[in-house]
Amino acid sequence: MRGRRVGAAGARAIAGVSRSLPSDHSPRSSGRAKFDRPDDSAPWQLLLPRALPIPAGKRLASIALGKAALPALCFARANPRAALPAAGSVGWLLRAEDLCPRQMLPDPSGPLGDEMTVWGQCDALASLGPPAPHMETEGPVDVRHVQWLMGKLRFRWRQLVSSQQEQCALLSKIHLYTHGCHSDQSLGHLSVTEAEMLRDPEGGQQLLRTLEQENRRLEAVLAWRRTELVFWQWMDTVLGTCAPEAPAAASQPTFLPWVPECGDGELELVVRELQTLEEELREAAERRRVAWEAKARGCGRGPEWSATRRASQETVEKELGALQRRWEQDSGPAQAHGPHRLVRREDGAAGDRDLRAAELIRTLRSQEACLEAMLRQLQGQCRQELARVAGALPGLIWIPPPGR
Amino acid sequence: MSIVTVQLGQCGNQIGFEVFDALLRDSQSSHGLCCKRENEAYQASCKERFFSEEENGVPIARAVLVDMEPKVINQTLSKAAQSGRWKYGQHACFCQKQGSGNNWAYGYSVHGPRHEESIMNLIRKEVEKCDSFSGFFIIMSMAGGTGSGIGAFVTQNLQDQYSNSLKMNQIIWPYGTGEVIVQNYNSILTLSHLYRSSDALLVHENDAVHKICAKLMNIKQISFSDINQVLAHQLGSVFQPTYSAESSFHYRRNPLGIDWHVRPPSSGLPSLGKKSLNKDLHFNTSIANLVILRGKDVQSADVEGFKDPALYTSWLEPVNAFNVWKTQRAFSKYEKSAVLVSNSQFLVKPLDMIVGKAWNMFASKAYIHQYTKFGIEEEDFLDSFTSLEQVVASYCNL
Repeated sequence: MRGRRVGAAGARAIAGVSRSLPSDHSPRSSGRAKFDRPDDSAPWQLLLPRALPIPAGKRLASIALGKAALPALCFARANPRAALPAAGSVGWLLRAEDLCPRQMLPDPSGPLGDEMTVWGQCDALASLGPPAPHMETEGPVDVRHVQWLMGKLRFRWRQLVSSQQEQCALLSKIHLYTHGCHSDQSLGHLSVTEAEMLRDPEGGQQLLRTLEQENRRLEAVLAWRRTELVFWQWMDTVLGTCAPEAPAAASQPTFLPWVPECGDGELELVVRELQTLEEELREAAERRRVAWEAKARGCGRGPEWSATRRASQETVEKELGALQRRWEQDSGPAQAHGPHRLVRREDGAAGDRDLRAAELIRTLRSQEACLEAMLRQLQGQCRQELARVAGALPGLIWIPPPGR
Repeated sequence: MSIVTVQLGQCGNQIGFEVFDALLRDSQSSHGLCCKRENEAYQASCKERFFSEEENGVPIARAVLVDMEPKVINQTLSKAAQSGRWKYGQHACFCQKQGSGNNWAYGYSVHGPRHEESIMNLIRKEVEKCDSFSGFFIIMSMAGGTGSGIGAFVTQNLQDQYSNSLKMNQIIWPYGTGEVIVQNYNSILTLSHLYRSSDALLVHENDAVHKICAKLMNIKQISFSDINQVLAHQLGSVFQPTYSAESSFHYRRNPLGIDWHVRPPSSGLPSLGKKSLNKDLHFNTSIANLVILRGKDVQSADVEGFKDPALYTSWLEPVNAFNVWKTQRAFSKYEKSAVLVSNSQFLVKPLDMIVGKAWNMFASKAYIHQYTKFGIEEEDFLDSFTSLEQVVASYCNL
């Protein structure tokens, strides 16, 4: 078991980094600026009141779209196909950027068997996973597709939970059955890996051989990396000396397989082409940068923009403050990080590098509460945004899909 | 991965029996058309999913039986025991003496809360018996009072207490010319509630299954038992173990991993690998299709026709919407069989009809007092209508 402390120092580093970002660009603010288009954290089930008060006695059948008599449910039973706006496809645009729900999932690199890596709080919050790959959509994304994705996500989540429960039950069984088998008394029982090794020693040997092979390859790569520079320098000298004798280049030792084909003239051509390409790329990159800056600048220096920026800066400060306070709180008890193994003990004794599961659970629960608070906050923002959008269109009635 | 089945009401219990019977009979059949090892894997998988073992080796169905009258439950229990091949758990059933009078409100607002603890306890015991629990399968009808009302209540409870488990409701769509006057009320109340709390609704229409019995099987006097057996056959061929594209080495771990609301069409019987969709000018647009092939030559079966984008909505790629599950092991003595489970516009017309009829009754306030008497107000009806109109519209606009 190894341990490694990431404490307040690391936290301050992270704080420094985020403060050092240019003041008119922070990841938070650009994310929030996108809330002029609602994002897809499926907020509608929490949104506007579900059903509108319908005067008793009014028949749905007698209401046609557009009739001001009862500006309630805007569908007519007589011709459902024509009249009713299907829930969710009201026609406004949704730009599907990062799929928020995925960011809210816990770190997927969780336990394998009964070994796991313990993350400090700052790590866990900072490592919410890379943002989901951008969906390269040119135009509006169909909201129904998003609903479908949410449904799929829900199903996958449920399947994951049941798989995890099964895994826990199995782990418990293995630990129970192998009690007393381990040579190390303080551990008492085997881990899954150890049990697997015992069950299938040949497989373990095979794995070992594969790992050794991998290691050799990696070491070779590392050795190459260290000496690469020297190699190229030598290569230059070789090319330099053989330049006036172009045909003789072909008779160079064969450990330069791909060079002999290029005569001197061709090489120069290639070099020139590369240089031109480099120039073009540089120009293109410069053009893009200028255009982006102009756009970003043009995005608004108006009062709204600076207000948003101020608001998001304040929020970032607040969050950082909260994070720092938490880090400082938890830097009291020894928090080991890095790989751990799960051990079941009857007597509950623990060494000083051991973590009690109960403590870990407590930590994870507080992280969960943190994330949930974040989620609720974002959902509230989405709600407000959608209310604003919906309110801007007179006569639009918003009937959210059946909530869960 | 085990499934716990909850059988509710007369319909649910009768069908539940037929399903377990069909599943076990198939798994023990010797006409598997595959090698012994394959057969054993199939049997083991089926057994683990639906049955638990007792000391004397007789499999016990992982089921909870609920009804408000004792007659059908007693019949079901004894039929199972008599078969000698399997049985229900001794303490797996809950029944009362009074019935629900085909009143959804009575089932939902009176029976449900009154017996909530007992029923949920039974379910919990069944879940705890599972080594690895994958979800619930709830069998109920829409038209009566017990299955529909208590079914809706129980499903909601399951959603609350087991929020991380998958739930699939098997719903029996009543005959269009059914005998229960208020069946349309019961149906819309059931559907709107289940839409909120269930993960998947698997629908069987009595009318459609009746047609199968009459036309395809040439049964003269069609009884409910015939209908139930056809139903059980269809369900069995959906639920028995299969391989999916991802993991071709083990049988799929979780049989409930069907995306979204699914509904098998009426022609789900063996069709020798041919598509069983209507090849009309106008396709029913699908959100998702699942084809399950069993038996001979499954590896070479051509399912390309199902990948036609014309079958699916514009916002879904066929590759996301279409799945195939296969196994060489034949089902129930059919050399080749295919089932299509489809989430499509198929459901729009029947649903529209029921909502229309229910609305007409509601507009004239017929029989409403029987519901308001037990706490289901007019507003609840209106909520249900709203939800279902949304569903109809969503599907129409696919």
